[in-house]
Amino acid sequence: MYRRSNRRRFVFVLLLLTSITLITLDMRGSSSGAIGSLRRGAHDVFAPIQSAADKVIAPVGDFFGGLTRYGHVKSENQRLKARIADLQAHGLVESDAQRQLRELTQLEQLTFAGDLKSIVARVVSTSPSNFQVTVELDKGTAAGIAKGMPVVSGAGLVGRVVEVSKERATVLLITDGESHVGVRFSESGDTGVANGAGARTPIQVGFVNAGTKVTTGEVVTTSGLQDAIFPPGVPVGKVRSAKPAADKLALDVTIEPVVDLSHLEFLKVLTWLPPAGP
Amino acid sequence: MNQPRLKVPLVLLVALVLHTAVMGHLRLAGVAPDLMVLIPIVGGLTSGPERGAALGFFCGLAVDLVVQTTPLGLSALAFSIIGYTVGVLEAGILRSSWWIPPATALFASAAGEALYAVSGALVGQTQLVTDRLATIVVVVGVLNAVFALPMLRIVRWSMRDGSAANARYV
Repeated sequence: MYRRSNRRRFVFVLLLLTSITLITLDMRGSSSGAIGSLRRGAHDVFAPIQSAADKVIAPVGDFFGGLTRYGHVKSENQRLKARIADLQAHGLVESDAQRQLRELTQLEQLTFAGDLKSIVARVVSTSPSNFQVTVELDKGTAAGIAKGMPVVSGAGLVGRVVEVSKERATVLLITDGESHVGVRFSESGDTGVANGAGARTPIQVGFVNAGTKVTTGEVVTTSGLQDAIFPPGVPVGKVRSAKPAADKLALDVTIEPVVDLSHLEFLKVLTWLPPAGP
Repeated sequence: MNQPRLKVPLVLLVALVLHTAVMGHLRLAGVAPDLMVLIPIVGGLTSGPERGAALGFFCGLAVDLVVQTTPLGLSALAFSIIGYTVGVLEAGILRSSWWIPPATALFASAAGEALYAVSGALVGQTQLVTDRLATIVVVVGVLNAVFALPMLRIVRWSMRDGSAANARYV
């Protein structure tokens, strides 16, 4: 009895120590180390399985998704019916192919990316995680994507690449709690830092001087200040609210992303990397 | 195909595929069920602390490798602790009843999500502990309780080697 109990504890302690060792190795090592290679390998092995499963299971997932969001789906259905009727009246109904073409054309005509080179990729899945807001792209290092590259849609900033394997890239969206974007207010030119607070939650902008004039609806773009992780001038969001902070020394500003992050299909990865530090 | 060493990896792979392809669509208040923490919980209930911890480790490792971008081993750590604890507590249960697996799934899943977030914060992943954590903990607990009985049968089937089947919670 004692021997069995000791064996149980031994196995448990061994698993805990292995987990802690992996955490330590991952946190201390670079992405090009053994742990990074293991992660990239796992992504590449799982990618085709996931793609095949997505094709088969997607209708089931959509069905269950519809069940849990019945009220929302019903009101959305009514809204879309009204919209279709309106568009039919004006002869503007477009097919899915036309919509995709329009999205791709928008991506080809980015006004904010300047002459930066870019790679168009398709979103293949959204993360099931409750703690991270990420999407996965169908292209990786084989297409020239690298960790840290900014990702945009036709409207503005979506996020940045945080993991990349040969065939897949994981993009951390700007609403994720780990996302911090240096931003500039278009009217005053003052700067701040846009911190994600999770899906469905407005982005909080910190470090905004109390004297800054902020207007509701004003567009906020990436600041591109020294050591910024995004190029300058990419639209991030529109101001939703602004009020003095409790200590009166700063402004509490919230913004809504300019991109509809719940409906992402084609995105553009800008082949721009932050300048290396000194 | 009567060997756990073949059936368990198969169940883990299918669960991971379902977790990534379907569960993201099944959100309540923006929160999805977490099948990968449910497996060690029902594993601990049916097969004891040792197997519960082992299932937790491998489920967590799979999630860390494929889903999360947090440090590798974080989910493995949290899920092994949950699987082991459920197995230890199960040994103290004198009578089996149909409601024990859903009730265990409810509380243990909630504890698993909270443990993952708090462990993450302890190693510098402070973004995991937000105002939404309470919602995540409650909703994952409730949704996982719904899946507890079917998952229990699947895990029991995968663990059964024909020699020492646990007759509880069937």
